[in-house]
Amino acid sequence: MKKFTSEMVEDYANKLLIGLSEEENAMVLKEFDIIDHNMELITKIPGIEKIEPMTHTLDDFVYELRDDVATESPDIEELLQNCDSYEGREIVMPKVVGGDN
Amino acid sequence: MAIINNIEKLHEMLVNKEITPLELVNESLEKSKSVQDKCNAFVTIIENPKITNVTENMLSGIPFGIKDNYSTKGILSTGSSNTLKDYIPIFSATAVLNLEKAGAIGVNKTAMDEFGMGGTGTTCHTGPVRNPWDLKRMAGGSSAGSAAAVASGVYPFALGSDTGDSIRKPAAYCGIVGYKPTYGMISRYGLFPFASSLDHCGCLTRSVKDAAIVVDAMKGIDPKDQTTWDSQNIHLYDALNGNIKGKKLFYIKEIANIESYQNKSEMLKKHLANFHQTLDILKRLGVTIDEVSIDKSILASLPSVYVCISCAEATSNMSNLTGIIFGPRGEGNNYEEIIKDHRTKGFSPLIKRRFVIGSYILQKENQERYFVNAQRVRRLIVDQMKDLFKNYDALIMPVGSGIAPYLEDDNNMIDNEETRILEEHLQIGNFGGFPSITIPNGFIDNMPVGINITGNCYDDENVLNIAYALEKEMPYQGQIAKEGENE
Repeated sequence: MKKFTSEMVEDYANKLLIGLSEEENAMVLKEFDIIDHNMELITKIPGIEKIEPMTHTLDDFVYELRDDVATESPDIEELLQNCDSYEGREIVMPKVVGGDN
Repeated sequence: MAIINNIEKLHEMLVNKEITPLELVNESLEKSKSVQDKCNAFVTIIENPKITNVTENMLSGIPFGIKDNYSTKGILSTGSSNTLKDYIPIFSATAVLNLEKAGAIGVNKTAMDEFGMGGTGTTCHTGPVRNPWDLKRMAGGSSAGSAAAVASGVYPFALGSDTGDSIRKPAAYCGIVGYKPTYGMISRYGLFPFASSLDHCGCLTRSVKDAAIVVDAMKGIDPKDQTTWDSQNIHLYDALNGNIKGKKLFYIKEIANIESYQNKSEMLKKHLANFHQTLDILKRLGVTIDEVSIDKSILASLPSVYVCISCAEATSNMSNLTGIIFGPRGEGNNYEEIIKDHRTKGFSPLIKRRFVIGSYILQKENQERYFVNAQRVRRLIVDQMKDLFKNYDALIMPVGSGIAPYLEDDNNMIDNEETRILEEHLQIGNFGGFPSITIPNGFIDNMPVGINITGNCYDDENVLNIAYALEKEMPYQGQIAKEGENE
């Protein structure tokens, strides 16, 4: 496994579309060192790989199929009230395919 | 002021027409303004809330606070983040609606650590929340504003959410009660998600009885949250009888025994001595208390396990915060620049760091070592707790490693201090979805401290009853912080 480096922090931040300062980048690595140390200890627990990962909080959780009941959709005009840039009933965006504008 | 009374007393006053709901709301709003000046506890004060009629329901006509990560229709709901600084939901969270159906009146939205990620109450976009017992100290987080407001007597209760200890730690720091019921007892629909497998709704109050009344009203199965379950046979308020003779509790030696620590600071010694004095009260009530040992390496790993699971879930949950369809639109020439500008300016440094860690953990090549192993340790500790709950009614533990730190000592960094697990062990309650309640159990250096009781899933009535019986033996029920008088 590759060591978590400053360049990787930058890369992951970019993928998350988040900008980090140099100081923030260094803090990520400092914190991650502690996590990595503790997770290394976990790998030494005998038989850890055989333990079923706990992915849900309650053991007796039951998935139930719900009846297919039609519900009202939210009103588009209402939804757009929280959007900073729209025209009519559509959100304004720069062109995504085929150029910058 | 009438508003400083508990829910039962307020209901009695309302029924007897000694006071009206409007008068109570006005008292609460007036108090909100003075607490805002001192503690910076609110994002929004709702100036003209809809006044309800007094009914048989004990919550009718009673003002309350709403943590700002609960969606409230037509009312600003920011999660204390600049990314949602103008966001006004078009629907309300089920928990809020349930309280409104009972006749309770929301009067303000309380400040919190941004999206619940933090335990200090200092990362709110409106600035840090101050502790009403000492304004130089933090209220704790993330439900910081709710804790400060309830402790100040703004109203008898406020909503909180709890992913690691975000109800139960600030409750201890502010000398009040903080209760998160079993996972899924209260619908999370309309609660801004942080880490969905750990997020719990709950409340902050000044008595166990009030917590029971509030959660009785908040809970219930909800078709909009598939993790809710039918709790109609659970009656928290009715089950409070104070009879706990013969109950069996345990505490974890490696965390709560002073001899487990190499560095025995004065604060640590006082805090753990106070904890054991409280255990003596329970013993006098006929409760058996055992010291139980748990593998120290597993305990030491729990804070990192928590970070791995919560950051991974949060990274995914908050990927919708782009500023495109809601939130302040960023600047840029293409959609990536626009989103990046929004997220870079909008998120606090703490959140950004957590997201990057979460993203790294979720990479295919890293998942096994971090995320999956964290889920395995989660299973280990939860299974061990469930085994213990076969023989014991509940786990009883001190909250944190002492009193609320000074604001200038704000530290949201992950560290490997010896007391880290003492600070973070309440996360066990989130790992297992266990019902868990903090109540005040004394003062150190004129600041309140708390004790926590955690039981097995669905055993909320038992957990609250133990807390209720203990609360009756101590003089801290209903206490109001003397705002800034320690200054």
